[in-house]
Amino acid sequence: MDRLLVVRCPDLLVEDEGGAALRTFAGVLTAVEAYCPWVTPVRPGICSLPVRGPARYFGGEEALVDLVHEAASRVSSAEVGIADGLFAAVLAARQGEVVPAGETCAFLAPLPMGILGQPELAELLDRLGIRTLGEFAALPDADILGRFGADGARGHRVAGGRSGELADLRQPRLARLLAGDDTPDAPVVAEVGFWGGVSDADARAARCLVAAQKLLGPDGVVTAHLQGGRSPAEQSRLVTWTTGSRPGGATPGAGPAGAPWPGRIPPPAPAVVHPDPIRVDLADTRGEAVRVSARGLLTAAPDRLSVEGGPWEPLSGWAGPWPADERWWSRSRRRSARLQAVTAGSAHLLLVERGRWWVEATYG
Amino acid sequence: MFAIEPDQRLSRERDPAAVAALSALAERTRPIAASRTRLLAVAPALVGLLPDGALRRGSTLTVGGPDDDGALSVALALVAAASASGSWCALVGHPGLGAVAARDLGVDLGRLALLPHPGPAWAEATAAVLEGVDLVVLCPPFPPRQAMARRLVARARERRAVLVVVPGRAGWPEAPDLQLRIDDVAWEGAGGGEGHLRRRRMTVTATGRRSAERPTRRRLWLPDPDGAVSLLDAPDRPDAPDRPALSGQPGRAGTGG
Repeated sequence: MDRLLVVRCPDLLVEDEGGAALRTFAGVLTAVEAYCPWVTPVRPGICSLPVRGPARYFGGEEALVDLVHEAASRVSSAEVGIADGLFAAVLAARQGEVVPAGETCAFLAPLPMGILGQPELAELLDRLGIRTLGEFAALPDADILGRFGADGARGHRVAGGRSGELADLRQPRLARLLAGDDTPDAPVVAEVGFWGGVSDADARAARCLVAAQKLLGPDGVVTAHLQGGRSPAEQSRLVTWTTGSRPGGATPGAGPAGAPWPGRIPPPAPAVVHPDPIRVDLADTRGEAVRVSARGLLTAAPDRLSVEGGPWEPLSGWAGPWPADERWWSRSRRRSARLQAVTAGSAHLLLVERGRWWVEATYG
Repeated sequence: MFAIEPDQRLSRERDPAAVAALSALAERTRPIAASRTRLLAVAPALVGLLPDGALRRGSTLTVGGPDDDGALSVALALVAAASASGSWCALVGHPGLGAVAARDLGVDLGRLALLPHPGPAWAEATAAVLEGVDLVVLCPPFPPRQAMARRLVARARERRAVLVVVPGRAGWPEAPDLQLRIDDVAWEGAGGGEGHLRRRRMTVTATGRRSAERPTRRRLWLPDPDGAVSLLDAPDRPDAPDRPALSGQPGRAGTGG
């Protein structure tokens, strides 16, 4: 892993409309280039340069840090630091530290997980009692990819000092922009994610959703998370939206495909799940109510249905029943069965329990 | 390896017709190349329905049919590509979204904010989310007044958001930029007790604001057996005579109120 010196200008991290910050940053780059020709702009306000050669020439890493700091500070306020790998070096710059070679791992270990900029991962690990990069790095490699995905694996390699940087750290357009061959009227959008930062669009969405919550109450704005379950209603739960909500939806490992659920209806899933099931009557050709026997069989072929006492609608098709005997081991045992019923154009998922039929979901 | 013989190279002097054709082609492709900020992508099966092959920011669509069967599915199918490519979306006024179905259509549930019970404040809530969300699906819980609808349309235009209205029984008093009508809906797979629901056929007709524009029509599987949306056949010609469903009475979408 390369040993890098990072210059971080806290005042220039955010793009402004006129491009003044970017021009000042270009001035910083020019000033730093006096010490090393290979200065790489990383993202607005942050640039890096390789340490080895310049440090030898200018009399050690500490001396180099002082010189670069002095040069950059003449243009804008700046923080300078050195570490192995870009990720650690940016953090070192924030603290004005020179992390000795080979000690990057120890430097990162006490830092909180949130610093990886993956709030969802941090939240998940927090529940497992893992709160620092060091604890995360100590997890065995083999388990990481399967349980936390590619992003988690990348974060794990960085936390363990085996990789220098995260995927979204660099902003490739920046170099071209600084070189002047990109149109400045398309402002560089503050991009997702280093240290839990948010993109412009995310921030905008967050602001308007907060406004909607002021209007409707906090529970008025929710997101759906998928989980295991037998019925369509059980397969998702609504979670109050908060500014910290990471776009992600499904909780890892709790996907509906996770476990077999006997009695689950085959896909496709219904687009409408009624929060309160709707009463429905189901009759056979003679107008007799259709029931499900103790063995999970229909007493007669259903012929028509009536939703909430409305007019009878003939069925053009039906399928099932799928019996579900839930919690058979406990007192709250529920015996039920489900049936798909197709009327002119519409299709419903019906549930029968204790002799009563309900519309649980509609394939709307 | 792409070396071209000098005498085959297109030069302005030599082949003005080819140059004209190329510049015409460039003209046709230019807006698309420059339009990343102007358009929101949709699923491939829906591209042919939309005049730009995508959702135009600032525009309003209505989705409906004689019985509103499938209207929510079509709206979710419109959300899918936008949310998956990072745009924030919101669903206002629908109390019972089937999250699994939405996921199967390709919706990124983490980028779909749900406002299931906005109640009487539904218009204000919609206006609020239009401020910062790229695509809003609105199922008005109550019949909107014309002035209210007009304000929301104006807000969407001003904020460069896409407003997809599923009018349902409430209706929508404003003429949309694009009306998607759903007809000819039929489920396959469930017979007299055997099998299970597998897929739904529907015909979606897109009508633009100007009457001079020919309606576009696509027959879709929505959902198909995987829960996604796919084209049922090769695209119909807009005036294909084999689907007389269009001549029926106009749906509630866009005209009701």
